Amino acid sequence: MIKLKGMYDSMVRCIISEELEAGDFSKEFSDIREKSQQFLPGAKVVLDFGGRGLSEEIVCRILSEFVWPSMIHVAAWITYDAASQDMLKRSGLPTSEPMPDTRVVEKGNMGALLLHRSLRSGQRVDHYGDVIIAGHVNDGAEVLSAGHVIVLGRLCGLVHAGCEGDENTSVVARSMEAMQVRIGSRIGSLDRGAIWWGKMVIVKVSEGSVLIDYWPVIK
Amino acid sequence: MASRIIVVTSGKGGVGKTTTTANLAVALASMGNRVVAIDGDIGLRNLDVIMGLENRIVYTLIDALEGICRLNQTLIRDKRIENLYMIPTAQSKTKDAVTSEQMKGICEDLRNDFDYILVDSPAGIEAGFRNAAAGADEALVVTTPEVSAVRDGDRIIGLLESMDKSPIRLIVNRIRPQMVKKGDMLSVSDVLDVLAIDLIGMVPDDESVVTSSNKGEPLTLSTDSPASRAFKNIASRIAGNDVPFQDLDGLDSNGKGFLGKIKRAFFGRC
Repeated sequence: MIKLKGMYDSMVRCIISEELEAGDFSKEFSDIREKSQQFLPGAKVVLDFGGRGLSEEIVCRILSEFVWPSMIHVAAWITYDAASQDMLKRSGLPTSEPMPDTRVVEKGNMGALLLHRSLRSGQRVDHYGDVIIAGHVNDGAEVLSAGHVIVLGRLCGLVHAGCEGDENTSVVARSMEAMQVRIGSRIGSLDRGAIWWGKMVIVKVSEGSVLIDYWPVIK
Repeated sequence: MASRIIVVTSGKGGVGKTTTTANLAVALASMGNRVVAIDGDIGLRNLDVIMGLENRIVYTLIDALEGICRLNQTLIRDKRIENLYMIPTAQSKTKDAVTSEQMKGICEDLRNDFDYILVDSPAGIEAGFRNAAAGADEALVVTTPEVSAVRDGDRIIGLLESMDKSPIRLIVNRIRPQMVKKGDMLSVSDVLDVLAIDLIGMVPDDESVVTSSNKGEPLTLSTDSPASRAFKNIASRIAGNDVPFQDLDGLDSNGKGFLGKIKRAFFGRC
């Protein structure tokens, strides 16, 4: 229920399954610590909780029962629950995917994040590169990406591509059902009656305006 | 039989959580189960009125937590049905009067004495909801076929998932088949498409619900209205019985798309 996976730059991703009950955290983290005691001390670890919400109590427990005893450096606390992200940020804990050290990374040029899930209302993805959602972005969910955003399902929530200011980014949605799309510092609005509504589209900035077109564009 | 603690919640207010709790409590007790319905809406209690037990309240949940009485002194037995009880909450307190740990403790204390413990949650996503859901194993999310209610339902489902509640099942309340036919109301299929959880029942809009709430006589006590039948069916599905879904006024005349989708959702998307 808790898996460790290697990442770039000797970093380790610790994936905590959403199905794992919070009551079983202590045992599972203890097992992982025991099995991985040879390489965990000093390792940079991304704690990935998926869509799970984190309370202050759970964060304290993970710190005292896993982070401190195993001597790891936590590079990021990843959760798609917006309220938990805010709580972690308030506590001074990193919530964005860490940047690789060994290659030059420009803004918005980090590895893509592929998410095999739908985002529910109140959930948020905040990534420093491109984002691909293999699911729906429901009304009330948010995707903030420094790069491009591709939604393979319905896009009903808020997407902000190029949120670091890059207006050369775009948004692709299989079914466009969002009233607003943001790219860089531009905001595009859409009405339910628009011809694009419910269609597969690409949204981008051209000559300072947010433009929407069918996707793929057939000339 | 192992006791089951079920929170009835929605996110949006006014979609029928309390009515659902009362009717399901009555229906489950009528099937021979020992049932207690807890009013988790501190400060805005209504379950007592809808169940017609408001004149029997002596002690409340908060009194038990403050040590003024024992927990079993707060239990009000419904004289109309054997094995049906209710625990009222205080009207003069706020949601902060109880903690999640206290709610968990209350639910666990009741677990040995009841087959079903239904907790009526307040609207919203703040402490009141979290406390009501804290002690529950599973959840029933009530929504109406309105965009705002569905969006709030989606939010609540995300929170329930992060709280490890399972299963989380959906009740679509106040369906008006004629409006659905005309395209003026979301269909159950539309709602399921967004919320993507298993459907456990759909309740048609029924005037008798208003009458029964005002009289303090849950529909499932006696009447045979469409809403009453729907609530009884939901209770039966909660108990694990295989009950076919009602065809609400022939919404799916060819027996395929609409009901087929619901059956797939309920029976494991087969």
